[in-house]
Amino acid sequence: MTRFAIATRDELWLRGRLSETRISHGEAIHDESGITATDAPADGLDDALAAASGRDLERMRELVPGDARVRLVAIASTEETSATMTIGIAGLFVVTSPEHAREDEALLRAIVAVEAEGEAVDYRGIPIVWRNGSASVLLHEAAGHPLEHAHEPIAWPPWLDVDVPLRMRRETFRDVPLLRMTRVTARQHDAPFSLPERRIDVLLVNGGLYEPLTETVTLRIAAADYEGRRLPPFEIRESRQAVARALTGAAGDPIRYPGVVCSREGQELIVGSFAPVMITEFR
Amino acid sequence: MTVVYRKQGSVVRWENGTLVRVTESGMAIEDGNLFRCFPFRRAVAQPPLSIRSGGFATALLKVERLIITHGVAHHECDGRTWSDETKRFHMSLVNGGIRALIDREEDVERIADALARAEQSEREAPARLRLAPNVTGALLPSLVESVPPNVDLFQTAGGVDGRGNPIVEARGNWPNWYRPSYRTRPVRMPLNLQLRCDVTAIERDRPVAVALLAPPDGLTLRVLVDEGRRAYPATVRVTRIDAVAGERTWYPYGGGSFGAEMML
Repeated sequence: MTRFAIATRDELWLRGRLSETRISHGEAIHDESGITATDAPADGLDDALAAASGRDLERMRELVPGDARVRLVAIASTEETSATMTIGIAGLFVVTSPEHAREDEALLRAIVAVEAEGEAVDYRGIPIVWRNGSASVLLHEAAGHPLEHAHEPIAWPPWLDVDVPLRMRRETFRDVPLLRMTRVTARQHDAPFSLPERRIDVLLVNGGLYEPLTETVTLRIAAADYEGRRLPPFEIRESRQAVARALTGAAGDPIRYPGVVCSREGQELIVGSFAPVMITEFR
Repeated sequence: MTVVYRKQGSVVRWENGTLVRVTESGMAIEDGNLFRCFPFRRAVAQPPLSIRSGGFATALLKVERLIITHGVAHHECDGRTWSDETKRFHMSLVNGGIRALIDREEDVERIADALARAEQSEREAPARLRLAPNVTGALLPSLVESVPPNVDLFQTAGGVDGRGNPIVEARGNWPNWYRPSYRTRPVRMPLNLQLRCDVTAIERDRPVAVALLAPPDGLTLRVLVDEGRRAYPATVRVTRIDAVAGERTWYPYGGGSFGAEMML
């Protein structure tokens, strides 16, 4: 028999005003008959978890920018704790933590300061440089989710090491735990790297998807630059084998990407994401 | 105006092999622009809920996902009280790279039969096509923004909404509130939509889109077309509706939707 307990606080702030606030807590007992979950456990609530989520929420409130759409989620459970701020400005967003909120907000403001112009381009045949750690999102979909689904391994460049720890995780006490990523960390070892003159620079990714039936990776690129202009949002759709073949180089240490909220079976979980500057070229 | 809502309930869910029993009670308060919600400790009796799982005629196909729920809930909002009982079914059934979405247990056999015969390659959709009720049920919420002139799309009267108000027949300016959980701020939207057309006769010899292969993307549907001798995936853009049958079946799409066989 296992016991899982969780306390969650979440708030939505719109332009500096509190719009929604939620408290949630409960317990799930998992035994041979299944999961029995309640928000009123017989032994009472876990006060330490409730206090921890409350403290994290207070800490995040102090960092809420007054002109943004901000969701704060503070989770304290018997398995993990997290404090997450999703900051949205002008339709784009970053997912960050109290420790990195100011830095990531500044990154977001710099990105939204430039407006998209002109037509979209076909990304195939143009080298793509993945900046700000955004290659971790590509690898989250192309390497991480296939691991969750126990799909056959594929060949990756010899200079690339992708570390994807998995464990059973759940979003709430009502959910069935699933084997999920906790983090994606990509590292390069003596990778080739030559910055192409003609290239797409990916700055921010809006979301991604791995289709387990066809092993297809879809990435929605929110902000990318090409030939001196900001491109309109576009989508990259490739097989995971094509992603592995497209990786042509990388440089430097892993960079923390501001946030991946990973949704599977309706359960949203935070997955830490780190990758060096990387180059792909899809054909 | 302050609106106070309380809910207590219990649900049994069979999710991909795990039985989950949940009891909860909570309160939501809408106070001007602020929405607050939190658990509201109250003894919740576990009613005798049960679900049956397995035994579906899906030979040769893989059941990727099977979620069956049975729940009861008691609601209170500004002095009004009501109760409801819900049963839901969701299955995703796979043949190779094709996934059929099923939200009503009675549809499993018909869809599984077509899916087992399905070609893997997408074909062009036939110009004249029938849509099965489960497909049209999913389509109706997308039609709200662009109703073709020859059909009547409306909210069906009956039952109560998320604030305990009677659900009334309505077209546009949706007067009722959708509240799927006490944790969700209620929103005005159409509930229990249905579509009527003066023409109700359906030509039985047309190919039929028997299942959705993906959630609708506006008026674009990725469906499994069954022509009898063969079945295949196709993408259909709904631009006109020739007929809608009179017989309707409720589906849990949007705020509820009555699917009826449709002819394009």
